[in-house]
Amino acid sequence: MAALTRRQCLAGLAATGLALPGGTARAAPARVVCLEWTSAEMVVSLGLSPLAVGDIRGYDDWVQGPALPQATIDLGSRSEPNLELLRELRPDLIVGAYGYGLDENSFTRLAPTFNVPFYSGKAPPYAQAQQVTLQLGDMLGRRTEAENLVGRIEASIAQARARLERAVQKPVCVVSLFDDRHVRVYGAGSLLQDVLDRLGLVNAWTGATNEWGFSTVGIEELVAVGEPQLISLDPIPPHVRIRIARSSLWANLPCVRNGQVRTIPPVWPFGGLTAAARFAEFVAAA
Amino acid sequence: MISQAMSLPRQRDGIGALILLVAVPAGLALMLTVFDLIHILPTHLWWQALTAPDTSDPVQLLYRHAFLPRVAVGVLAGAALGLAGVVMQHVLRNPLAEPTTIGTNAGASLALAAATLYAPWLLEGGREGVALAGGALATSAVFALARGRSFSPVSIIIAGLVVSLTFGSAGALLMALNREYTEELFIWQSGSLVQNGDAAVVVLAPWLLAGICAAFLLWRPLRLLDLSDDGAASLGTRPAVIRLAGMAVAVSLSALVVAEIGVIGFVALAAPALARLAGARTLGRRLVWSPLVGGALLWLTDRLVQHLPFAGEIPAGTATALLGAPLLLFLLPRMRTTPERQADMVSSIRLPTNGLPLIAGLLALILAVVLAIGFGRGVGGWHWIASADLTELLALRAPRVVVALSAGVLLAVAGTLMQRMTGNPMAAPEVLGISGGASFGVLALLLLSDGFDRAAMLGAALAGALLALTIVVLAGRRNALSPERLLLAGVAVATVASAFAALLLASGDPRMDFLLTWLSGSTYRATPTDAFTAATVAVTVLALAPLTARWLDILPLGETAARGLGLRLGRVRATLLALTALATATATLVIGPLSFVGLMAPHLARMLGFRRAVPQLLASAMTGGLILVAADWAGRTLIFPWQVPAGLIAAFVGGPYFMALMWKDRQ
Repeated sequence: MAALTRRQCLAGLAATGLALPGGTARAAPARVVCLEWTSAEMVVSLGLSPLAVGDIRGYDDWVQGPALPQATIDLGSRSEPNLELLRELRPDLIVGAYGYGLDENSFTRLAPTFNVPFYSGKAPPYAQAQQVTLQLGDMLGRRTEAENLVGRIEASIAQARARLERAVQKPVCVVSLFDDRHVRVYGAGSLLQDVLDRLGLVNAWTGATNEWGFSTVGIEELVAVGEPQLISLDPIPPHVRIRIARSSLWANLPCVRNGQVRTIPPVWPFGGLTAAARFAEFVAAA
Repeated sequence: MISQAMSLPRQRDGIGALILLVAVPAGLALMLTVFDLIHILPTHLWWQALTAPDTSDPVQLLYRHAFLPRVAVGVLAGAALGLAGVVMQHVLRNPLAEPTTIGTNAGASLALAAATLYAPWLLEGGREGVALAGGALATSAVFALARGRSFSPVSIIIAGLVVSLTFGSAGALLMALNREYTEELFIWQSGSLVQNGDAAVVVLAPWLLAGICAAFLLWRPLRLLDLSDDGAASLGTRPAVIRLAGMAVAVSLSALVVAEIGVIGFVALAAPALARLAGARTLGRRLVWSPLVGGALLWLTDRLVQHLPFAGEIPAGTATALLGAPLLLFLLPRMRTTPERQADMVSSIRLPTNGLPLIAGLLALILAVVLAIGFGRGVGGWHWIASADLTELLALRAPRVVVALSAGVLLAVAGTLMQRMTGNPMAAPEVLGISGGASFGVLALLLLSDGFDRAAMLGAALAGALLALTIVVLAGRRNALSPERLLLAGVAVATVASAFAALLLASGDPRMDFLLTWLSGSTYRATPTDAFTAATVAVTVLALAPLTARWLDILPLGETAARGLGLRLGRVRATLLALTALATATATLVIGPLSFVGLMAPHLARMLGFRRAVPQLLASAMTGGLILVAADWAGRTLIFPWQVPAGLIAAFVGGPYFMALMWKDRQ
């Protein structure tokens, strides 16, 4: 049942896509499948409902926006998307991301495959997200939507910046809390860093980061950042929250003691434009 | 305790070595610590910042709430592990006993992983209770299994291995299915000494003190365990009760360390071994010196890690394994092990070994392959393969089934060869570190390059397997490959490989998703080329192995008999080892280092009555193939569209089955 309505819905969407000025004569792929979350975020942001996405529960917890349509089918884990299910779904296009160690050949055999070139570390992630969004727009016959999306995100980040400029802003430090002794801190090379730059905020973490723009460090290293506004990304496991609050080191960190720690809703740090806009919005929302 | 202290000066022999053993690492560690401290805080502030720190000063905060607790926790945890190790080794009369080998760590880890995912509220008050429960449960399981064999060292280690593999695979399963939720567990598994205040010190210090008191109260009764159980009973003690008390102390200490800082490899094994080597011959001496050695070692390791270039990111647990393993290998030839009578691990009911069971096995295997390829799940539920889909589905399923089958056969043959060659019922590629070596090669390749080139990976796996094999053989050579030494060397290599894997997994590198599935024995990435390679090697090995039948029938009779019958042992062993390396490296590459088949299949074959070399080889190969084919099928279908790696299922189901067999067979 669900499959039917979804199919009708997709057909309808594809039809509107074709009707738009600039739409090509060639039929745009309507049955799109996303192997992991970054590509899913991008496809949904373009107004398309992917047929299936890898690890939907994880997406709902860690990415959150934009929400996946109810009828989306779970493809299994992101590291092992189910090939037999993929084959059965007969997708027109498979969208994945580089960096997961998946063998591309297994997918190209089933359908044309497009990889989001995210973790290549070559270009700043935000610029790359824009570029990939446009590419994806072309491929899905949604160039206009893609251009609109790029513009909309720019505007919403600019808006957040304007809101922030009303007050003098401290430097910030963005972390994910995974256990009560370590943090993952985001810096150079991350999407979040690019957004901070666009917001005119200074990232207090100037230390080394890996290819993906973060670093996992002991909590004590946060002493080095001084007294910035500490921003921690949800979700934080409840027991970690409790245990970290009891830690004498954490409680006395300059950035914890003086500035208040702010917890913001989940933002997928390896995401695309929507993740960037969500982050900007949450940071400015205070 | 007093009598012990007084008796020390009189036993002059070896004391010097013991003092050196503690003083050298401790002295070095102290120097490094003072050196670091001077850079953090001016000396005149040391005392004041310790007793009444001004926490608004970041420097004093770091000194008092990060640096000092870290040093203290390192020393305390090292001492606790040293003590736990010496008690375990004494109680179990087994120089290999330590929290990792007897299942305590695996139990604690699984309990913590399960609690983190499904009952985080249990962890609000601290991890100790959960870790303790899990560690105690796993250790009790090991005990229950080994009990029928009056805790013979080999049965303890094999039970420990089975329980560890089972619990470990369950934990890996939880983590694989909840990838993004388990970052905490990855970090914690790698054994980090980073501290966030005094919390861990406050927990560890009193427990260590209590452990020390308990150990010394138990000192006298524990000594009686050196006698036979009957002898001890005639002196009015109850060996079972003493054992239980001793193990309770050791397990509590190790589970506590696991809870506070994670899995710290090797200290519990190395500290008592080193103390014994340096001359601590009596239990009393080892009780005194092992904790000191353990504390000094972990302290030094942690400091070294801070100072060595490129090592800044290495957690202590990984470092102890990386440093401790070569140390152990170096010391092996110097180690005196009491010769252990090699009992048949699992005795067998004699069945007539005619061809009939073999044919039945073959039929079962064919049936399993047909089922694995033909019956599956899709959007519409369970269904048989339709002729329209045949080519497409075959392309997806056949490589996986062939890879599972070949890997099962290869591991089973490798296991049979090793068990017969060493006369050791626990020998298996997984146990002797050959799989570990192969995975080490692949991990190193992943670290140095960013590709996933299969040919390069096969080369790396083969190089790693050969390296591990060479190390193990060289280390065991002095004693003509004595089973215990081989085992120790194998444990060392396997520990390094798994520590290395833990390090890479904790790095948070998104590529490690691949590593995780590979480590848990997934056939997902099997390509037709993989299938072809694995099948070719499997057929080759299967064809070559029976040619060694005469050797394999003679070798278990012992070295003297083998020489007497005209075997040139050196050449025979080299040939068999090369065959084993080829089989293991290929299997490891296609299905990862975790599986159980190499240990389990030869035993099952023997229990089914196949005792001579060729029948055992064939039966074991069939069993191995059957296990992995079935596991792969179950992994692909049971929680469709999610998938469970075949290696995990094999360990998760095979483990308990093996345990049940051990249990039934305990009389």
